[in-house]
Amino acid sequence: MEDFEFLRHITLGQYLPGDSLVHRLDPRVKISVMLFMTVAITFNVSYLANIILLIVCLSFVLLSKIPLGYILSGVKPALPFIIVLAILQLLFYGDAFVPYGTESRTILRWGWVHVTSGSVQLVVVSTLRFLQLLFLASLLTNTTTISDLTSGMEAMLSPFSRVGLPGHELALVGAIALRFVPILAEQLEIIMKAQASRGADLGAKGRLRFIQTTRQMVALIVPLFIDAFRRAEDLILAMEARCYVGGRHRTKRVRFRFQRADYIAYVLVLLFSAAMVAFRNRMPF
Amino acid sequence: MEQKGFTVRRIVIAGVLSAIAILLGATRLGFIPVPTAAGNATIMHVPAIIGGIMEGWVVGGIIGFIFGIFSFLQATIPLFKDPLVAIFPRIFIGITAYFTYVGLKRFNEYVALIVAAAVGTLTNTVLVLTMAVVRGYMAPGVALGVGITHGIPEIIVACILVVAVVAAWKRVETGRGRSKV
Repeated sequence: MEDFEFLRHITLGQYLPGDSLVHRLDPRVKISVMLFMTVAITFNVSYLANIILLIVCLSFVLLSKIPLGYILSGVKPALPFIIVLAILQLLFYGDAFVPYGTESRTILRWGWVHVTSGSVQLVVVSTLRFLQLLFLASLLTNTTTISDLTSGMEAMLSPFSRVGLPGHELALVGAIALRFVPILAEQLEIIMKAQASRGADLGAKGRLRFIQTTRQMVALIVPLFIDAFRRAEDLILAMEARCYVGGRHRTKRVRFRFQRADYIAYVLVLLFSAAMVAFRNRMPF
Repeated sequence: MEQKGFTVRRIVIAGVLSAIAILLGATRLGFIPVPTAAGNATIMHVPAIIGGIMEGWVVGGIIGFIFGIFSFLQATIPLFKDPLVAIFPRIFIGITAYFTYVGLKRFNEYVALIVAAAVGTLTNTVLVLTMAVVRGYMAPGVALGVGITHGIPEIIVACILVVAVVAAWKRVETGRGRSKV
Protein backbone atom coordinates (compact mmCIF):
# COMPACT_ATOMS: atom_id res chain seq x y z
CA MET A 1 0.00 0.00 0.00
CA GLU A 2 2.91 2.36 0.59
CA ASP A 3 3.21 2.69 -3.20
CA PHE A 4 0.18 4.92 -3.09
CA GLU A 5 1.33 7.39 -0.50
CA PHE A 6 2.57 10.28 -2.54
CA LEU A 7 2.30 13.19 -0.18
CA ARG A 8 5.35 12.31 1.83
CA HIS A 9 7.52 11.72 -1.23
CA ILE A 10 7.08 15.13 -2.77
CA THR A 11 10.32 16.95 -2.13
CA LEU A 12 9.86 19.85 -4.49
CA GLY A 13 10.59 23.26 -3.09
CA GLN A 14 10.73 21.92 0.41
CA TYR A 15 11.18 24.89 2.69
CA LEU A 16 13.54 24.27 5.59
CA PRO A 17 12.88 26.86 8.27
CA GLY A 18 15.92 28.65 9.58
CA ASP A 19 17.33 31.99 10.55
CA SER A 20 20.52 32.14 8.52
CA LEU A 21 21.65 35.12 6.49
CA VAL A 22 20.35 33.46 3.31
CA HIS A 23 16.94 32.80 4.87
CA ARG A 24 16.57 36.46 5.84
CA LEU A 25 17.42 37.90 2.42
CA ASP A 26 14.66 39.50 0.38
CA PRO A 27 13.17 36.94 -2.06
CA ARG A 28 13.78 39.37 -4.93
CA VAL A 29 17.48 39.38 -4.08
CA LYS A 30 17.58 35.60 -3.95
CA ILE A 31 15.87 35.25 -7.34
CA SER A 32 18.23 37.86 -8.83
CA VAL A 33 21.27 36.10 -7.37
CA MET A 34 20.04 32.85 -8.90
CA LEU A 35 19.60 34.53 -12.32
CA PHE A 36 22.98 36.32 -12.28
CA MET A 37 24.83 33.19 -11.19
CA THR A 38 23.02 31.06 -13.78
CA VAL A 39 24.13 33.45 -16.53
CA ALA A 40 27.72 33.36 -15.24
CA ILE A 41 27.66 29.55 -15.05
CA THR A 42 26.12 29.19 -18.51
CA PHE A 43 28.81 31.32 -20.17
CA ASN A 44 31.91 29.83 -18.54
CA VAL A 45 33.55 26.68 -19.91
CA SER A 46 37.10 26.89 -18.49
CA TYR A 47 38.28 24.72 -15.59
CA LEU A 48 39.38 27.64 -13.41
CA ALA A 49 36.15 29.63 -13.83
CA ASN A 50 34.04 26.60 -12.92
CA ILE A 51 36.16 25.84 -9.86
CA ILE A 52 35.75 29.46 -8.69
CA LEU A 53 31.99 29.31 -9.32
CA LEU A 54 31.70 26.01 -7.45
CA ILE A 55 33.54 27.49 -4.44
CA VAL A 56 31.21 30.50 -4.45
CA CYS A 57 28.10 28.28 -4.65
CA LEU A 58 29.45 26.09 -1.85
CA SER A 59 30.02 29.15 0.32
CA PHE A 60 26.37 30.15 -0.24
CA VAL A 61 25.32 26.69 0.99
CA LEU A 62 27.53 27.06 4.08
CA LEU A 63 26.05 30.51 4.76
CA SER A 64 22.53 29.09 4.59
CA LYS A 65 23.39 26.36 7.16
CA ILE A 66 21.50 23.78 5.09
CA PRO A 67 23.24 20.40 5.37
CA LEU A 68 25.19 19.61 2.20
CA GLY A 69 24.16 15.95 2.46
CA TYR A 70 20.50 16.93 2.28
CA ILE A 71 21.01 18.75 -1.02
CA LEU A 72 23.10 15.94 -2.50
CA SER A 73 20.71 13.17 -1.38
CA GLY A 74 18.35 13.99 -4.26
CA VAL A 75 21.01 13.08 -6.82
CA LYS A 76 21.50 9.50 -5.62
CA PRO A 77 18.76 7.77 -7.69
CA ALA A 78 19.98 9.38 -10.92
CA LEU A 79 23.64 8.55 -10.38
CA PRO A 80 23.85 5.55 -12.80
CA PHE A 81 22.31 7.63 -15.58
CA ILE A 82 24.72 10.52 -14.95
CA ILE A 83 27.70 8.17 -15.13
CA VAL A 84 26.54 6.49 -18.36
CA LEU A 85 25.93 9.86 -20.00
CA ALA A 86 29.35 11.13 -18.91
CA ILE A 87 31.07 8.02 -20.33
CA LEU A 88 29.25 8.39 -23.65
CA GLN A 89 30.26 12.05 -23.77
CA LEU A 90 33.86 11.16 -23.01
CA LEU A 91 34.19 8.37 -25.55
CA PHE A 92 32.26 9.60 -28.56
CA TYR A 93 32.19 13.38 -28.46
CA GLY A 94 35.56 13.71 -30.15
CA ASP A 95 36.26 17.03 -31.82
CA ALA A 96 32.74 18.38 -31.59
CA PHE A 97 33.65 20.59 -28.63
CA VAL A 98 36.77 22.75 -28.71
CA PRO A 99 37.12 25.27 -25.86
CA TYR A 100 37.83 28.86 -26.91
CA GLY A 101 41.48 29.64 -27.52
CA THR A 102 42.75 26.06 -27.14
CA GLU A 103 43.50 23.28 -29.52
CA SER A 104 41.87 19.93 -29.08
CA ARG A 105 44.50 17.22 -28.66
CA THR A 106 43.68 13.60 -29.25
CA ILE A 107 44.36 11.56 -26.13
CA LEU A 108 43.09 8.18 -27.27
CA ARG A 109 41.79 6.90 -30.59
CA TRP A 110 40.62 3.34 -30.94
CA GLY A 111 37.99 2.46 -33.52
CA TRP A 112 34.89 4.49 -32.73
CA VAL A 113 36.36 5.71 -29.49
CA HIS A 114 37.92 9.13 -29.78
CA VAL A 115 38.93 10.89 -26.56
CA THR A 116 40.25 14.43 -26.88
CA SER A 117 41.27 17.10 -24.40
CA GLY A 118 38.08 18.86 -25.46
CA SER A 119 35.81 15.96 -24.50
CA VAL A 120 37.60 15.50 -21.15
CA GLN A 121 37.06 19.18 -20.40
CA LEU A 122 33.43 18.92 -21.45
CA VAL A 123 32.76 16.07 -19.01
CA VAL A 124 34.55 17.74 -16.09
CA VAL A 125 32.95 21.12 -16.71
CA SER A 126 29.41 19.72 -17.11
CA THR A 127 29.80 17.86 -13.81
CA LEU A 128 30.99 21.01 -12.03
CA ARG A 129 28.24 23.05 -13.66
CA PHE A 130 25.65 20.52 -12.56
CA LEU A 131 26.81 20.78 -8.93
CA GLN A 132 26.77 24.59 -9.03
CA LEU A 133 23.23 24.76 -10.40
CA LEU A 134 22.05 22.03 -8.03
CA PHE A 135 23.32 24.06 -5.06
CA LEU A 136 21.74 27.28 -6.32
CA ALA A 137 18.35 25.79 -7.18
CA SER A 138 18.14 23.86 -3.90
CA LEU A 139 19.14 26.93 -1.91
CA LEU A 140 16.46 29.07 -3.50
CA THR A 141 13.66 26.59 -2.78
CA ASN A 142 14.98 25.42 0.60
CA THR A 143 15.34 28.87 2.13
CA THR A 144 12.30 30.67 0.66
CA THR A 145 8.64 29.97 1.35
CA ILE A 146 6.35 29.47 -1.63
CA SER A 147 4.38 32.64 -0.93
CA ASP A 148 7.59 34.70 -0.69
CA LEU A 149 8.80 33.15 -3.92
CA THR A 150 5.63 34.00 -5.85
CA SER A 151 5.40 37.54 -4.43
CA GLY A 152 9.04 38.03 -5.26
CA MET A 153 8.44 36.84 -8.83
CA GLU A 154 5.45 39.14 -9.14
CA ALA A 155 7.43 42.14 -7.87
CA MET A 156 10.21 41.40 -10.33
CA LEU A 157 7.85 41.02 -13.28
CA SER A 158 5.86 44.17 -12.48
CA PRO A 159 8.13 46.57 -14.44
CA PHE A 160 7.35 44.56 -17.57
CA SER A 161 3.61 45.17 -17.23
CA ARG A 162 4.17 48.43 -19.16
CA VAL A 163 5.10 46.41 -22.24
CA GLY A 164 2.13 44.10 -21.77
CA LEU A 165 3.64 41.25 -19.77
CA PRO A 166 1.07 40.30 -17.14
CA GLY A 167 3.33 39.84 -14.11
CA HIS A 168 0.55 39.64 -11.56
CA GLU A 169 -1.35 37.03 -13.54
CA LEU A 170 1.75 34.92 -14.12
CA ALA A 171 2.54 34.97 -10.40
CA LEU A 172 -1.05 33.94 -9.68
CA VAL A 173 -0.76 31.01 -12.11
CA GLY A 174 2.38 29.92 -10.24
CA ALA A 175 0.69 30.25 -6.85
CA ILE A 176 -2.35 28.25 -7.99
CA ALA A 177 -0.08 25.55 -9.42
CA LEU A 178 1.88 25.19 -6.18
CA ARG A 179 -1.27 25.24 -4.07
CA PHE A 180 -2.94 22.55 -6.17
CA VAL A 181 -0.05 20.06 -6.11
CA PRO A 182 -0.84 18.62 -2.64
CA ILE A 183 -4.62 18.65 -3.33
CA LEU A 184 -4.17 16.72 -6.57
CA ALA A 185 -1.62 14.40 -4.94
CA GLU A 186 -4.24 13.46 -2.37
CA GLN A 187 -6.81 13.00 -5.12
CA LEU A 188 -4.39 10.82 -7.09
CA GLU A 189 -3.92 8.63 -4.04
CA ILE A 190 -7.68 8.19 -3.74
CA ILE A 191 -8.00 7.34 -7.46
CA MET A 192 -5.19 4.78 -7.25
CA LYS A 193 -6.73 3.08 -4.24
CA ALA A 194 -10.16 3.08 -5.93
CA GLN A 195 -8.81 1.54 -9.14
CA ALA A 196 -6.68 -0.98 -7.22
CA SER A 197 -9.71 -2.05 -5.19
CA ARG A 198 -11.49 -2.74 -8.49
CA GLY A 199 -8.64 -5.05 -9.45
CA ALA A 200 -6.49 -2.73 -11.53
CA ASP A 201 -2.92 -4.00 -11.63
CA LEU A 202 -1.09 -0.72 -11.23
CA GLY A 203 2.22 -2.02 -9.98
CA ALA A 204 3.14 -4.30 -12.88
CA LYS A 205 4.93 -2.42 -15.60
CA GLY A 206 6.38 -4.45 -18.45
CA ARG A 207 8.83 -2.69 -20.70
CA LEU A 208 7.67 -4.55 -23.80
CA ARG A 209 4.03 -3.78 -23.19
CA PHE A 210 4.20 -0.03 -22.87
CA ILE A 211 0.98 0.48 -24.81
CA GLN A 212 -0.83 -1.70 -22.28
CA THR A 213 0.88 0.18 -19.46
CA THR A 214 -0.34 3.41 -21.02
CA ARG A 215 -3.86 2.09 -21.22
CA GLN A 216 -3.66 1.23 -17.54
CA MET A 217 -2.39 4.75 -16.94
CA VAL A 218 -5.50 6.08 -18.68
CA ALA A 219 -7.50 4.72 -15.73
CA LEU A 220 -5.51 7.06 -13.46
CA ILE A 221 -4.72 10.03 -15.67
CA VAL A 222 -8.21 10.62 -17.04
CA PRO A 223 -9.96 10.78 -13.63
CA LEU A 224 -7.10 12.95 -12.37
CA PHE A 225 -7.53 15.46 -15.19
CA ILE A 226 -11.33 15.41 -14.92
CA ASP A 227 -11.11 16.03 -11.18
CA ALA A 228 -8.62 18.85 -11.77
CA PHE A 229 -10.94 20.44 -14.34
CA ARG A 230 -13.91 20.20 -11.94
CA ARG A 231 -11.88 21.89 -9.21
CA ALA A 232 -10.75 24.50 -11.69
CA GLU A 233 -14.36 25.22 -12.67
CA ASP A 234 -15.24 25.68 -8.99
CA LEU A 235 -12.35 28.06 -8.47
CA ILE A 236 -13.24 30.02 -11.62
CA LEU A 237 -16.82 30.38 -10.42
CA ALA A 238 -15.68 31.45 -6.95
CA MET A 239 -13.25 34.02 -8.34
CA GLU A 240 -15.74 35.43 -10.83
CA ALA A 241 -18.46 35.58 -8.15
CA ARG A 242 -16.11 37.75 -6.08
CA CYS A 243 -15.43 39.95 -9.11
CA TYR A 244 -11.74 39.14 -9.22
CA VAL A 245 -9.83 41.61 -11.37
CA GLY A 246 -6.11 41.24 -11.66
CA GLY A 247 -3.56 43.80 -12.58
CA ARG A 248 -1.89 46.98 -11.54
CA HIS A 249 -4.39 48.45 -9.14
CA ARG A 250 -4.21 45.67 -6.58
CA THR A 251 -2.35 46.40 -3.37
CA LYS A 252 -0.44 43.97 -1.19
CA ARG A 253 -0.61 43.31 2.51
CA VAL A 254 3.07 42.48 2.85
CA ARG A 255 5.54 44.75 1.10
CA PHE A 256 9.16 43.83 0.66
CA ARG A 257 11.80 46.34 1.59
CA PHE A 258 15.51 46.04 0.87
CA GLN A 259 17.72 45.93 3.98
CA ARG A 260 21.41 46.72 4.02
CA ALA A 261 22.35 43.03 3.66
CA ASP A 262 20.10 42.83 0.60
CA TYR A 263 21.85 45.72 -1.15
CA ILE A 264 25.29 44.31 -0.33
CA ALA A 265 24.42 40.78 -1.52
CA TYR A 266 22.78 42.08 -4.69
CA VAL A 267 25.69 44.37 -5.70
CA LEU A 268 28.40 41.83 -4.80
CA VAL A 269 26.83 38.99 -6.80
CA LEU A 270 26.05 41.29 -9.73
CA LEU A 271 29.66 42.50 -9.91
CA PHE A 272 31.03 38.97 -9.47
CA SER A 273 28.80 37.50 -12.21
CA ALA A 274 29.58 40.37 -14.58
CA ALA A 275 33.31 39.85 -13.99
CA MET A 276 33.00 36.10 -14.58
CA VAL A 277 31.22 36.72 -17.89
CA ALA A 278 33.63 39.49 -18.95
CA PHE A 279 36.77 37.43 -18.26
CA ARG A 280 35.38 34.11 -19.50
CA ASN A 281 37.90 33.87 -22.36
CA ARG A 282 40.93 35.02 -20.37
CA MET A 283 41.15 32.22 -17.82
CA PRO A 284 44.63 30.68 -17.81
CA PHE A 285 43.28 27.11 -17.99
CA MET B 1 -12.75 30.75 -26.53
CA GLU B 2 -11.59 33.59 -28.76
CA GLN B 3 -11.34 36.14 -25.96
CA LYS B 4 -8.13 38.11 -25.76
CA GLY B 5 -5.83 38.43 -22.78
CA PHE B 6 -5.89 36.80 -19.40
CA THR B 7 -9.33 35.76 -18.26
CA VAL B 8 -9.88 34.22 -14.85
CA ARG B 9 -10.55 30.94 -16.67
CA ARG B 10 -7.18 30.97 -18.38
CA ILE B 11 -5.29 31.81 -15.18
CA VAL B 12 -6.95 29.00 -13.24
CA ILE B 13 -6.72 26.34 -15.97
CA ALA B 14 -3.05 27.19 -16.52
CA GLY B 15 -2.40 26.90 -12.78
CA VAL B 16 -4.22 23.62 -12.30
CA LEU B 17 -2.69 21.92 -15.36
CA SER B 18 0.77 23.09 -14.28
CA ALA B 19 0.07 21.45 -10.93
CA ILE B 20 -0.61 18.16 -12.74
CA ALA B 21 2.65 18.49 -14.69
CA ILE B 22 4.56 19.07 -11.43
CA LEU B 23 2.74 16.19 -9.74
CA LEU B 24 3.48 13.73 -12.56
CA GLY B 25 7.16 14.62 -12.29
CA ALA B 26 7.33 14.57 -8.50
CA THR B 27 5.64 11.16 -8.09
CA ARG B 28 7.55 9.45 -10.92
CA LEU B 29 4.12 8.56 -12.30
CA GLY B 30 4.98 10.61 -15.35
CA PHE B 31 7.48 8.04 -16.56
CA ILE B 32 6.33 4.98 -18.48
CA PRO B 33 8.90 2.20 -18.98
CA VAL B 34 9.50 1.51 -22.67
CA PRO B 35 11.53 -1.19 -24.40
CA THR B 36 14.31 1.11 -25.62
CA ALA B 37 17.67 2.08 -24.24
CA ALA B 38 16.29 5.39 -23.06
CA GLY B 39 14.35 3.51 -20.39
CA ASN B 40 11.41 5.80 -19.78
CA ALA B 41 8.99 7.78 -21.88
CA THR B 42 7.77 10.93 -20.17
CA ILE B 43 4.18 12.12 -20.15
CA MET B 44 4.88 15.28 -18.15
CA HIS B 45 4.40 17.43 -21.25
CA VAL B 46 0.84 16.14 -21.77
CA PRO B 47 -0.74 18.87 -19.53
CA ALA B 48 0.94 21.52 -21.71
CA ILE B 49 -0.56 19.95 -24.86
CA ILE B 50 -4.02 19.67 -23.29
CA GLY B 51 -3.83 23.23 -21.96
CA GLY B 52 -2.88 24.49 -25.40
CA ILE B 53 -5.69 22.58 -27.08
CA MET B 54 -8.34 23.66 -24.61
CA GLU B 55 -7.47 27.25 -23.72
CA GLY B 56 -5.19 28.55 -26.45
CA TRP B 57 -1.50 29.02 -27.04
CA VAL B 58 -0.91 31.45 -24.16
CA VAL B 59 -2.06 28.90 -21.59
CA GLY B 60 -0.13 26.11 -23.32
CA GLY B 61 3.01 28.23 -23.32
CA ILE B 62 2.71 29.10 -19.62
CA ILE B 63 2.15 25.48 -18.59
CA GLY B 64 5.20 24.48 -20.62
CA PHE B 65 7.20 27.26 -18.97
CA ILE B 66 6.24 26.16 -15.44
CA PHE B 67 6.89 22.51 -16.32
CA GLY B 68 10.31 23.64 -17.60
CA ILE B 69 11.13 25.53 -14.42
CA PHE B 70 10.29 22.50 -12.33
CA SER B 71 12.21 20.09 -14.48
CA PHE B 72 15.12 22.54 -14.09
CA LEU B 73 14.76 22.87 -10.30
CA GLN B 74 14.26 19.15 -9.78
CA ALA B 75 16.74 17.89 -12.34
CA THR B 76 19.12 15.23 -11.13
CA ILE B 77 21.15 14.99 -14.34
CA PRO B 78 23.46 17.70 -15.73
CA LEU B 79 21.58 17.93 -19.02
CA PHE B 80 18.45 19.39 -17.42
CA LYS B 81 20.35 21.60 -15.00
CA ASP B 82 20.91 23.89 -17.97
CA PRO B 83 18.02 26.37 -18.26
CA LEU B 84 18.46 26.60 -22.03
CA VAL B 85 17.73 22.86 -22.30
CA ALA B 86 15.19 22.49 -19.48
CA ILE B 87 13.02 25.61 -19.78
CA PHE B 88 13.29 27.23 -23.21
CA PRO B 89 12.14 24.29 -25.43
CA ARG B 90 9.17 23.48 -23.20
CA ILE B 91 7.49 26.84 -23.84
CA PHE B 92 6.75 25.77 -27.41
CA ILE B 93 5.02 22.44 -26.64
CA GLY B 94 1.58 23.94 -26.03
CA ILE B 95 2.00 26.58 -28.72
CA THR B 96 2.64 24.16 -31.60
CA ALA B 97 -0.04 21.78 -30.28
CA TYR B 98 -2.60 24.61 -30.26
CA PHE B 99 -1.93 25.75 -33.81
CA THR B 100 -1.97 22.18 -35.11
CA TYR B 101 -5.28 21.53 -33.38
CA VAL B 102 -6.90 24.73 -34.65
CA GLY B 103 -5.69 24.07 -38.18
CA LEU B 104 -7.05 20.51 -38.32
CA LYS B 105 -10.20 20.86 -36.20
CA ARG B 106 -12.33 21.62 -39.25
CA PHE B 107 -11.67 18.21 -40.81
CA ASN B 108 -12.02 15.93 -37.84
CA GLU B 109 -11.86 16.57 -34.10
CA TYR B 110 -10.17 13.26 -33.25
CA VAL B 111 -7.59 13.49 -36.02
CA ALA B 112 -6.83 17.04 -34.87
CA LEU B 113 -6.32 15.83 -31.29
CA ILE B 114 -4.02 12.98 -32.33
CA VAL B 115 -1.92 15.10 -34.64
CA ALA B 116 -1.73 17.95 -32.10
CA ALA B 117 -0.51 15.50 -29.42
CA ALA B 118 2.10 14.12 -31.82
CA VAL B 119 3.28 17.58 -32.89
CA GLY B 120 3.48 18.81 -29.27
CA THR B 121 5.50 15.76 -28.26
CA LEU B 122 7.79 16.11 -31.27
CA THR B 123 8.35 19.77 -30.38
CA ASN B 124 9.50 18.70 -26.93
CA THR B 125 11.78 15.89 -28.13
CA VAL B 126 13.31 17.72 -31.08
CA LEU B 127 13.89 21.07 -29.34
CA VAL B 128 15.31 19.53 -26.13
CA LEU B 129 17.72 17.33 -28.08
CA THR B 130 18.69 20.18 -30.42
CA MET B 131 19.49 22.36 -27.41
CA ALA B 132 21.40 19.44 -25.84
CA VAL B 133 23.57 19.21 -28.96
CA VAL B 134 23.98 22.99 -29.25
CA ARG B 135 24.99 23.29 -25.61
CA GLY B 136 27.42 20.38 -25.97
CA TYR B 137 25.86 17.72 -23.73
CA MET B 138 25.38 15.15 -26.49
CA ALA B 139 27.03 14.25 -29.76
CA PRO B 140 24.68 14.72 -32.75
CA GLY B 141 24.62 10.97 -33.49
CA VAL B 142 23.71 10.06 -29.91
CA ALA B 143 20.97 12.70 -29.90
CA LEU B 144 19.47 11.31 -33.12
CA GLY B 145 19.44 7.81 -31.60
CA VAL B 146 17.81 9.04 -28.41
CA GLY B 147 15.32 11.04 -30.48
CA ILE B 148 14.16 8.00 -32.42
CA THR B 149 14.11 5.50 -29.55
CA HIS B 150 12.55 8.01 -27.17
CA GLY B 151 10.37 10.02 -29.52
CA ILE B 152 8.27 7.25 -31.05
CA PRO B 153 7.02 5.63 -27.82
CA GLU B 154 6.43 9.10 -26.36
CA ILE B 155 4.30 10.12 -29.31
CA ILE B 156 2.18 6.95 -29.04
CA VAL B 157 1.73 7.40 -25.28
CA ALA B 158 0.89 11.11 -25.59
CA CYS B 159 -1.68 10.50 -28.34
CA ILE B 160 -3.51 7.88 -26.25
CA LEU B 161 -3.62 10.12 -23.17
CA VAL B 162 -4.56 13.39 -24.90
CA VAL B 163 -7.44 11.80 -26.80
CA ALA B 164 -8.68 9.99 -23.67
CA VAL B 165 -8.60 13.10 -21.47
CA VAL B 166 -10.05 15.61 -23.93
CA ALA B 167 -12.75 13.23 -25.14
CA ALA B 168 -13.74 12.37 -21.56
CA TRP B 169 -13.88 16.03 -20.52
CA LYS B 170 -15.85 17.18 -23.56
CA ARG B 171 -18.38 14.43 -22.98
CA VAL B 172 -18.73 15.39 -19.33
CA GLU B 173 -19.02 19.03 -20.27
CA THR B 174 -21.72 18.68 -22.89
CA GLY B 175 -23.59 15.96 -21.03
CA ARG B 176 -23.76 13.75 -24.12
CA GLY B 177 -23.60 10.40 -22.42
CA ARG B 178 -21.35 9.43 -19.55
CA SER B 179 -17.62 9.14 -19.65
CA LYS B 180 -16.28 5.63 -19.32
CA VAL B 181 -14.07 6.28 -16.30
